[in-house]
Amino acid sequence: MAALTPYTYIQCPCSDFSTLGRPSDPNPPTGTEAEVDDDGDDDRTFDPRAPRANYSLYPLEYLLYCEDCHQIRCPRCIAEEIVTYYCPNCLFEVPSSNLKSEGNRCTRSCFQCPVCIGPLAVTSVETKPDPSLLAAPDNAAAPHAGPYALTCSYCAWSSAEVGIQFEKQNGIHAQLAKLRNGGATRLTAKERKERRKDPSYRSQHTTEGPGAPHETEDLDLETQFANLKAFHQGQLVDPNSADTGLTALGDLGFSSPTSLSRIMSIYTGGSLQDKKAKSRVGAMREALDANEGFQVARLDESAAIEALRSEGHDGTASAAQLADQPPNLGEGHLHGRGRFTPGLRPIPYLLRTKRSKRCPVCRHIISKPEAKVQATRFRIRLVAGSYIPSIAIRPLALGSGSGSGGGGTSASGPAVPGALLEPLRPAHYLLTFKNPIFETIKVTLGAPAKTPGRLASKVTVLCPDFEIDANTDVWDEALNQGGAGGGGGAGGAGGGGGGERERRRRRGEDGAAGGGGGGGGSQSNINHQNQLEVGKIWERGRNWVSIVVEVVPASLRLEPGDAPLTEDEDILEIPMFVRVEWEGEAGGDEVGSVATRDREAREKRELAYWCVLGLGRIRP
Amino acid sequence: MSSKRHSTAPSAPKPPVHLSSHLTIADSAQLTGTHLIEIRGESVVHPRARLESSAGRIAVGRRCVVHERATVGAAPSAGGVSGRVAAAGADGGGGVVAVTLAECVTVEVGAVIEAGETVIGEGTVVGVGARVGARAVVGKHCTLTPYTEIAAGEVVPDFTVVYSNGLRRTDKRGVAELKNKGLARQIDVLKRMIPSNPAKFA
Repeated sequence: MAALTPYTYIQCPCSDFSTLGRPSDPNPPTGTEAEVDDDGDDDRTFDPRAPRANYSLYPLEYLLYCEDCHQIRCPRCIAEEIVTYYCPNCLFEVPSSNLKSEGNRCTRSCFQCPVCIGPLAVTSVETKPDPSLLAAPDNAAAPHAGPYALTCSYCAWSSAEVGIQFEKQNGIHAQLAKLRNGGATRLTAKERKERRKDPSYRSQHTTEGPGAPHETEDLDLETQFANLKAFHQGQLVDPNSADTGLTALGDLGFSSPTSLSRIMSIYTGGSLQDKKAKSRVGAMREALDANEGFQVARLDESAAIEALRSEGHDGTASAAQLADQPPNLGEGHLHGRGRFTPGLRPIPYLLRTKRSKRCPVCRHIISKPEAKVQATRFRIRLVAGSYIPSIAIRPLALGSGSGSGGGGTSASGPAVPGALLEPLRPAHYLLTFKNPIFETIKVTLGAPAKTPGRLASKVTVLCPDFEIDANTDVWDEALNQGGAGGGGGAGGAGGGGGGERERRRRRGEDGAAGGGGGGGGSQSNINHQNQLEVGKIWERGRNWVSIVVEVVPASLRLEPGDAPLTEDEDILEIPMFVRVEWEGEAGGDEVGSVATRDREAREKRELAYWCVLGLGRIRP
Repeated sequence: MSSKRHSTAPSAPKPPVHLSSHLTIADSAQLTGTHLIEIRGESVVHPRARLESSAGRIAVGRRCVVHERATVGAAPSAGGVSGRVAAAGADGGGGVVAVTLAECVTVEVGAVIEAGETVIGEGTVVGVGARVGARAVVGKHCTLTPYTEIAAGEVVPDFTVVYSNGLRRTDKRGVAELKNKGLARQIDVLKRMIPSNPAKFA
């Protein structure tokens, strides 16, 4: 079984319906209904095993923070906006106007291999390698000429395999659009018309039989659609198309112009909405030949069967390969479309995007990347890690400590991280809260005495209420430590600038409270040898505090008749409600214009959220 | 780390070698084993490449490149064939060729070719970190992409590309000549880059 490293997941408040749209509202909800709602919400313990929990738990690194709403924002509750489109291969920034006209793929010479999705390179196809070059490598510097092909350097696929070769080295995308697999060029409408006039082509086609009613010309999808559209448009405006024989069916008939125009308007955006057509009742005839967009379905699949017989399974394209294929309007009829590797075409790279993220409530931008494609920096990026305390979990190994909160048995946490937890034996974990903000924060923890779910483990947070000092300058700590070493007391901290009055006051308080509470560095050492004490911080640093959590893992032994253990049910997960309180500078937009005058005004803020501590697996 | 391990090498006896006068073999290449190691002309053996002939003869053809940390003639991994290979090694080994590299074979960095009548065909590229099992016969002009594994005893037809965790396809580019030409050019550069010291192994 894989070792489990302890983890902390934070539940984004967005999944909590009661908190949504009520971000740190200083006014209490006025309606009694809302209050009742709140009470119900407070009573509820978050269950990390609930199926829904999977969708709302995130590691701290995934979360963003809205400075204006003072709320955590997860990937689910942010609004995204596209900043730039770019090709991942050539890093060319594509203007969004081009996107509408040319689609969401790179229109330069960036292609992926249809077989292995590796990048393709344009190489010249040398029909006859000159053996004399072998002896004289200097000649190789001569410029390559002749046809070019796209080749994959990984799986050795070449576009020459499917009969696609290019005349020029650049503008591959445009050249490819004109080429069909097998090397045949796509005919433009003009060429098609000219070919039809060509007597030699005509005679060749008429020999098929004088009785053949339809012209069996192969149209590609784009042309077929254009022909069909032109034909039906012609039918709509043609006043003589009304067929007296079918008027009885009225407007409901499939071949009536009104129903057709309605369908066409769905697809083409209403440009075909013809008022005149509505008043006219009548039927239209169907398309009859290729000119009108008619194509006979080719149901004869003997060629495909034959190919399957000769090529075997290796000759067919896999489902993934077919799914990667871009839609190709130059392709022939949908019937008998190749499911074979010769039908694969080079894939133009899909464009990627850079996105900025907005808070859905206040519409402020909380993440905005640099618009330049090459830059990986962000202009704005409010990550939650710099606003809410991080929680690190470490097993605490006590030599012969006594289980103060649990039973009388000797408490011993697993010495190595990731070791299995012994069922029904108390184990201790050290939770280290690190304060990232420049204010002293007050943390209140709430955890259920028993974990929710079938296997209820006992949880005791030994110190659920503590303060963490502000995240000050690193140099201050260094100076403080020097002072502590000389003076011996944490209260004798001499460092810090003049502006750090608040922090100094805090230090002094700690020094006065001294003895058992664990203030500065020297006291924490004493605490180490101490027994675990309820209500006492284990260790404290510049901007971090460690507390101890005692757990008594449940036994995995199931009663006969119980459902078997589900996946990961043996992981000991503790839901914990974290409430952080601090005094911040009053924000202008929330307090109002009066408060903004007063720079010194402090405002009490709080942030509360559920998180899940995954401690480890219980030994079965 | 391996440079420290190098100190144990002098104690082992040198394997008999048959080196062409036109080859490039780096000073720090490792030739070990008891059977004959034969390397033909214009081949390049990079520094710290290993050729082991404990299970039988090693024959490297013309214009082969063995990159660094590649092992030619490695002991087969646990797969049940070791008994047979050991028997092959025990019968004197004079007739048994443990590994044959035909002409223009490239064995890239960290690739392993196991011993036991393994044959790599002409113009084949054994990619970075790939592993060719004992008794496998790889055809001509094949490409084994990085980290592919050819099972013991497998026969890979000519012009096969083994890619993406064992998928196979046939190389229809027809650039074998071109590849050989490129290889010749690469060898030409390597000759100038790698100081050759065949005398050390003779």
